[in-house]
Amino acid sequence: MRLCHSFASVFALCVLQVALAHAHVSLPGVAMFTTGGTIQSKGADRQKLMEYNSGRVTPRELLEDLPELKQIANVTVTEISNIGSGGMTSDLELKLAKAINAELAKPEVVGAVVTHGTGTLEETAYFLNLVVHSDKPVVVVGAMRPFTAVSRDGPFNLYNAVRVATSPRARGMGVLIVLNDEINAARDTTKTNTYRMETFVARDLGPLGYADSDRVVFYRRPLYRHTAKSEFDVSALTALPRVDVTYAYQESDGIAIDAFVGAGAKGVVLTGGDADAVKRGQAKGVVFVQSDRKGAGRVVTSQRQLERGVVTADNLPPHKARILLRLALTKTTDPLEIQRMFNEY
Amino acid sequence: MNRSLGTKWPALLAAALLAQPVVAQEIPKYAPPPAVPADKSALPNIVLMSMGGTIASRGGDRLNITNYGRGFPRVNPEDWYQDLPELQGIANLTLEDQRAPENRPSGSETHEDFARVAKRLSELAADPRVDGVVVTHGTNTMAETAYYMSLAVNTDKPIVFVGSQRPWTGLSGDGPRNLYDAVRVAASKQAWGKGVLHCMNQFIHTARDVDKTSAYRVDTFRGVDVGALGFADPDKVVFYREPVRRHTTTSEFAGHDYPSLPKVEVAFAYRDAPAYLIDAMVANGVKGIVIEGTGAGSATTGQTEAIKRAQEKGVVVVMTARTQGGRVQDTPRRREANIVPGDNLLPEKARILLQLALSKTTELAEIKRIFDEY
Repeated sequence: MRLCHSFASVFALCVLQVALAHAHVSLPGVAMFTTGGTIQSKGADRQKLMEYNSGRVTPRELLEDLPELKQIANVTVTEISNIGSGGMTSDLELKLAKAINAELAKPEVVGAVVTHGTGTLEETAYFLNLVVHSDKPVVVVGAMRPFTAVSRDGPFNLYNAVRVATSPRARGMGVLIVLNDEINAARDTTKTNTYRMETFVARDLGPLGYADSDRVVFYRRPLYRHTAKSEFDVSALTALPRVDVTYAYQESDGIAIDAFVGAGAKGVVLTGGDADAVKRGQAKGVVFVQSDRKGAGRVVTSQRQLERGVVTADNLPPHKARILLRLALTKTTDPLEIQRMFNEY
Repeated sequence: MNRSLGTKWPALLAAALLAQPVVAQEIPKYAPPPAVPADKSALPNIVLMSMGGTIASRGGDRLNITNYGRGFPRVNPEDWYQDLPELQGIANLTLEDQRAPENRPSGSETHEDFARVAKRLSELAADPRVDGVVVTHGTNTMAETAYYMSLAVNTDKPIVFVGSQRPWTGLSGDGPRNLYDAVRVAASKQAWGKGVLHCMNQFIHTARDVDKTSAYRVDTFRGVDVGALGFADPDKVVFYREPVRRHTTTSEFAGHDYPSLPKVEVAFAYRDAPAYLIDAMVANGVKGIVIEGTGAGSATTGQTEAIKRAQEKGVVVVMTARTQGGRVQDTPRRREANIVPGDNLLPEKARILLQLALSKTTELAEIKRIFDEY
């Protein structure tokens, strides 16, 4: 009887293993890239929500922490960096973009997930939105609370990011940002709060959909050009043109603009700006883009701006206008052509 | 009631002058309207249809922005045209009056009115001379009417709902700019195929997702959960998003007339909400009930018992949430209880979808599919 029982157990175990192995084979492949950020940070104790530089979480730890991922995807990990998002550079971004393009070209990979610090997450996400050439979902994810914290948001964010990356409905939506159960478009989403978990918001336009427990659901499709329809190609690039941003306030003058031009900037994004300094920069071939510091609404194209040769940024915030301008400057310095790009991306 | 201004403009002008308003619209005259192009043949042909609303109302004086309407003559479509000559620069307008009779108080529209307008919108959609339609409507229930049209009218052409928060006579009234922008959106090639739209306060929203969120502020219309599709800005009409859910040309409900629809009511959930309101709905012959549940979609114990009794009589029950945001999800418990999750539809819109669904089927699986797709 005991023998029979153990036979049965062994048999059951074998069946289970075969089933698991089989499930493993048929699961969709997700290429994960880790760059660091709060989602990969450790605090000295579990109540530390802001001082959490007591160690880094390796990609392996991240996956071991979340065995549930094995039930929904075959996740392979590439470590790009393990830094806070303030340290992100265009070198790393180029490396990341090229690695994503290479992975997404593989037929067994259905989507990509990128972990990132939240401070500049939206910048990397928008950059990828312009230079990843694939309809496959690319999901950028982070956390507002460190890996070690009580009520940390990272694990569910990561789980949802992988779910969205495997969702056929997410194809062709451009690069997505998934935190707090919300699926947001890379272009339109900005961090709006320093510590709250609902920080990523697309002002005016709202999320595209939700990663809810019953399903991944979409209500909106973005219309501006991105990913597979983007004309920007970084495959042969090793650096990007220097572009800086000036902040406008009462009595702000042209000193910053002159300094940026002197430092070799090829483009400057304005949130206000001294007209004479702009003219001096333009005389040296620098391209200027007018954005705004309010965080919502469009800079409309006016006759006056066209006459000044200043490109308008549509509703891109200054830090995202900077990314589009850098990529635009890899192709042209003609303000009219750059204006077309700002109208389309 | 369909009048082409192309041929009857002088007569209309005379009529409009005779019907001079009690108080003229407060449109600043310090800057003149821009010149109207001499050749209007290239302009799109837009039908401006009035279903009334605050935008078609007058107050006794221009500071009266709450107590207008009754006792003052209504604003006729011709008055808009006269007050806003700029409209002639952006479209060839045809005016159409689909208001309820004057002796009926505002808010008294019934399904008969909606069915009539839906039929008329379908006719206009089929008319090759029409490029788009603007419908004015009172703001309180305009999102419901617009959602019904987005399900019932089969067209790629823009249908844009518009209203105002302040009467046509109000100081700093939002009506003129809203009307102008709505015509611009209806005239925009980019607005084609995006379903029935809503344009006020320079935001372009979908009929499905827009909601009135404030009683008097001019920024009252917001997207529930999801935001605007785009903006009617001074330089251009611009779209950033298109809706994914089915509507107009992909709606299985479009292209039919619905002289009447199955009776569906909404039951609100709150602490101690009783069973007897739901029992009364069933006794009055409802075919469906939408619960406006608490939190993620819950009813009280009493309501839950009444729901079971209702379901035994074949009544279909849909669960929505009173949170005004977030989805009611498909959970095992809800499947067991045969309750259809209302997704993120507001209860009043879930009611409309359930009415249309029940006009085709009473099968739960099929109704669940419909709530997943629309």
